[in-house]
Amino acid sequence: MQPTRFYVAGLSPALLLLCIFFIGPGLWAVYASFTNMALVGPAAAHASFVGLQNYAHLLRDSAFRQSVGNSLLFVIGSAVIGQFLFGLGLALLLEYTEQAGIAGGNLVYAAVLLAWVSPVLISGFLWTAMFDYYYGTLNMLRVALDMQPINWLGNQAMLAVIIANIWRGTAFTMMVFLSGLKTIPREIYEAARMDGSSAWDRFRDMTVPSLAPIALIVLLNITIATFGAFALILTLTNGGPGLKTEVISLYAYHTAFSSYQIGYGSTIAVAMLALNLVFAIAYLAMLRPSTRSGES
Amino acid sequence: MRPRFGLILIIYIAFAVIILFFVTPFLWLFLAAVDPQAKAFIHVPERPTLENFRLLFSDFGFGTALGNSFLVATSTMFLTVVVVAFASYTLSRWDVRGKGGLMYGLLLLQTMPLSATMVPIYGLARTLGLRNSYLGLVLIHATIELPFLIWVMKGFFDSVPRALEEAAWMDGRSRARSLLEIVLPVAAPGLAVVAGLSFLAAWSEVLLVLILVDNENMKTVPLKFYETFRTQGGYVEVRYEVVAAMALLYLVPVLLLFLLTRRYLVRGIFGGTRGA
Amino acid sequence: MAPTPNRNRDQDLFATGSNKPISRRRFLKSAAFAASAAILAACGGTPAGQSASTPSQAQPAGSPAPAAAATAPAASGAVQIHISYPDEAGKKPKYVDAAAADFNKAHTDGQAVVDLQKIDSDSYYTKLLLALGTDSAPDVFHVSGGKIAELADGNLIAPLDDYLKKWDGWQHYPDAIKAGATYKGKVWAIPYGLDTRFLYYRKDVFQQAGLPQDWQPKKVQDIIDAAKAVQAKVTNVIPYVLYGGAAGSGGTISHGFLPLVWAYGGELQNQDGKWIGSSPAILKALQYYQEVFVTDKLVPAEVLTLPKPWTTMREKLGKGELAMLFEGGWVRGGWTSQSSEAQVTQTVGTNLFPYDNGSGTFTVGGLGTCWFIADKSQHKDLAWDFIARWNNPDTVAKLNLEDPHPVARTDAAEVPEFKQNAYLTMATQSLEQAKFEPMSSNYAKVQTAIQQMTGRVASGESPAEQAMLQFVDDLKQAVGDSEVVTQS
Repeated sequence: MQPTRFYVAGLSPALLLLCIFFIGPGLWAVYASFTNMALVGPAAAHASFVGLQNYAHLLRDSAFRQSVGNSLLFVIGSAVIGQFLFGLGLALLLEYTEQAGIAGGNLVYAAVLLAWVSPVLISGFLWTAMFDYYYGTLNMLRVALDMQPINWLGNQAMLAVIIANIWRGTAFTMMVFLSGLKTIPREIYEAARMDGSSAWDRFRDMTVPSLAPIALIVLLNITIATFGAFALILTLTNGGPGLKTEVISLYAYHTAFSSYQIGYGSTIAVAMLALNLVFAIAYLAMLRPSTRSGES
Repeated sequence: MRPRFGLILIIYIAFAVIILFFVTPFLWLFLAAVDPQAKAFIHVPERPTLENFRLLFSDFGFGTALGNSFLVATSTMFLTVVVVAFASYTLSRWDVRGKGGLMYGLLLLQTMPLSATMVPIYGLARTLGLRNSYLGLVLIHATIELPFLIWVMKGFFDSVPRALEEAAWMDGRSRARSLLEIVLPVAAPGLAVVAGLSFLAAWSEVLLVLILVDNENMKTVPLKFYETFRTQGGYVEVRYEVVAAMALLYLVPVLLLFLLTRRYLVRGIFGGTRGA
Repeated sequence: MAPTPNRNRDQDLFATGSNKPISRRRFLKSAAFAASAAILAACGGTPAGQSASTPSQAQPAGSPAPAAAATAPAASGAVQIHISYPDEAGKKPKYVDAAAADFNKAHTDGQAVVDLQKIDSDSYYTKLLLALGTDSAPDVFHVSGGKIAELADGNLIAPLDDYLKKWDGWQHYPDAIKAGATYKGKVWAIPYGLDTRFLYYRKDVFQQAGLPQDWQPKKVQDIIDAAKAVQAKVTNVIPYVLYGGAAGSGGTISHGFLPLVWAYGGELQNQDGKWIGSSPAILKALQYYQEVFVTDKLVPAEVLTLPKPWTTMREKLGKGELAMLFEGGWVRGGWTSQSSEAQVTQTVGTNLFPYDNGSGTFTVGGLGTCWFIADKSQHKDLAWDFIARWNNPDTVAKLNLEDPHPVARTDAAEVPEFKQNAYLTMATQSLEQAKFEPMSSNYAKVQTAIQQMTGRVASGESPAEQAMLQFVDDLKQAVGDSEVVTQS
């Protein structure tokens, strides 16, 4: 069989499915963003093409601006800082303890992983209980320690969803960094230690450069994924209170399915895609130089 | 070289704190599921009971939902593995112009919010007669995961040296056979990861099921869970014990899968992809 | 110089490499295929496209022959009408099934097929809307009367006036209710179990605070005074809860802001249907919010931010941890199901809301959930027949006994079991003093603006006057400048 034919055949099922169920609907969404389609109200009786009106409205929409801000805050807080650093720290810790012969690392690893494999609905449910104002575990603890209960899902809503997302997602970065760490040959560290360099030096001069490429890839992925994730926030706060945790994905969802404005909801979704594109380009630009120089 | 005692102590404290952070919600879950009157805080029931589980099957139609979830998730898993294996192998080995664009496109597709495509998917499914059908659920669940999983699997294939197949090709074996007989066994861990992740994704998906299924007998667990969780919270406070029991049963297959594939997950999801 | 560690091959995922150009023909073939798939998806997925393609058959008024004749398979001669509804509380199914059975016995030309959706009403509404735009819409469905405006404006429901002219049941409906169900001159649904709201108070807590057991506020200030008494004399009980901000959802308007505006003699809309952005009544209502939330702190601050404050607050009143709450009549059903009718009557008092000028009291009426006929239904006559059968005095009375709501039909209120229930009888009578929320496709946007306004005042962020000015701007941005007026 001709290789090209083989490859085309290999790619076709995936392409077919993607075109029909993914790209097709996606293109429809782009088309819808230029209309005022709605499921109720006068536009439901007669939808019309409104050109760039939705986009113009988007630029003036203070709720949209707020959702962009929330998304950035959420992504930076829970992914870029939270999951990335925590995952890195965990990987370093686990690798170190394994090398040093300290037991217990497996338990930690399993615990972190457990949170990651749970379906997101469960995670949301569990943390709703933890954060409950009157009877949640966290507040019951605080009250037992004579402290004031915190209205987690009310006053500290963004913090609460960030914590829940860190809880849920850190396993991924941890695993990636662990496997990255394992590929670094032990000997270089030994050699450096003989030469008298400190732990920090070793980390800075050897670990960081080795991890840098996958770190960037991981950062790219968790940024984009966290940007699009919304089920967790939906279950915990539903974007509330008010709009304090309304991230872009939720705003698109609510516009389409609470206000039933399909046209405008699609506009928001397209804007979201565009923003993701910006992130992707930015990361990839940072990636290329290391690719070119490092190729052996 | 054992570090000094002080450091070990600190490390163990760190371990304890970390484990506590990650495990406490589950502790609550296990306790609440067997508690006849569960609250939102951790509470050891005086009289643990299995009554909540019984209620699930008798009053909440959980048995059917569980069966549906298994059917859909397993079928999705098989379909996805096959489709992904071929697609990502192709992308890994085929040197063609536009491949970069394709990969880029796949990356972007991962970020398309479901809320944007739910309405057209509804219309499409209706037109194709795929609503209230297992086929529809499986096809669409599989498609949703394709961009991410193709990306992941391609990474695995990339790490398999071409020399292996090239030798086979020289010997005159066809691409298909060398893929099946030589490459796949080596990339098996990757396939396990893809299988596990696709099962997990199909097992967790709720919004798709909401719009694709009306038939009470076809509902899957996440939808049932979502309904119970939401409805109960509307009129009265959430009945934590029932929802917790459901959550636990919902979680068990996932835990089993996780235990079985732990070794492969440890090997790492190389290069790329999704976190939260 | 450290040896280069094993680089991740993925880094070259964007390296395109040279060589084997794909055959042009193959590429075009796949591209064409992909494009056609995309177009197929686009066509199939356009709800608007669907609604344009199948115009609904207009049923001539009073036509005796059901539309079934045109579409039914000749052999069985039976057409199916689809009845779809969600059920959360679990009380409706047996009545719906009974009505369907009744219908099926009486008809040889059509069979009622009941589709009970056991999901919450929000999810149900979403799915329903997706279906209503297509030709697989149910014939009859069941949603809140508050949706009449947006459904009617969307041409998704059929008006009932022609049927009502010939229906003998319609005479038993009070004018206030008939008016409440009318939008743009037509009646779109028949309410059966209505919503009322009451100012609930705990008699036991009031006693401890030195307030009368049969407390009845004559003006708005009385409410504040009672709350202050509770705050001063009774510990560990929340004096008062008023919903505000976005957290209160619809309740912020229907149980919070709107009754206050009405009490102070104002309205949300003027005669011409324009939204009133500022008025003395609105200002006073905001000042009330300011007083109870900020100045006197009679309402706990978390009411503004709890995920579902109404659930928690209802429970608290039921348990005696909250002294006063203006809430829906249906909430009482939650308390009686947990203790007993007698118990609740003994501990919880109910009042209507006072007009501030002392001229009387009122309640906030709601149409409750009703049956609607889909505009796309091919069998509207049959659909109507089902609805008429459902709305008989007996069913209406019994269902609203089980799921306590006042009834819409006066003859239903005469049914003995219903009449014996003092609370429900009182509630039904209170409907004569009911004012209903405005009906408009834009109402959701107005509600959002009200939530933001009350939230700002209640959180202390803005003083009342400033919040009202902001409200005028928010309203204009939401519904358009021409739809907003101000009064002084």
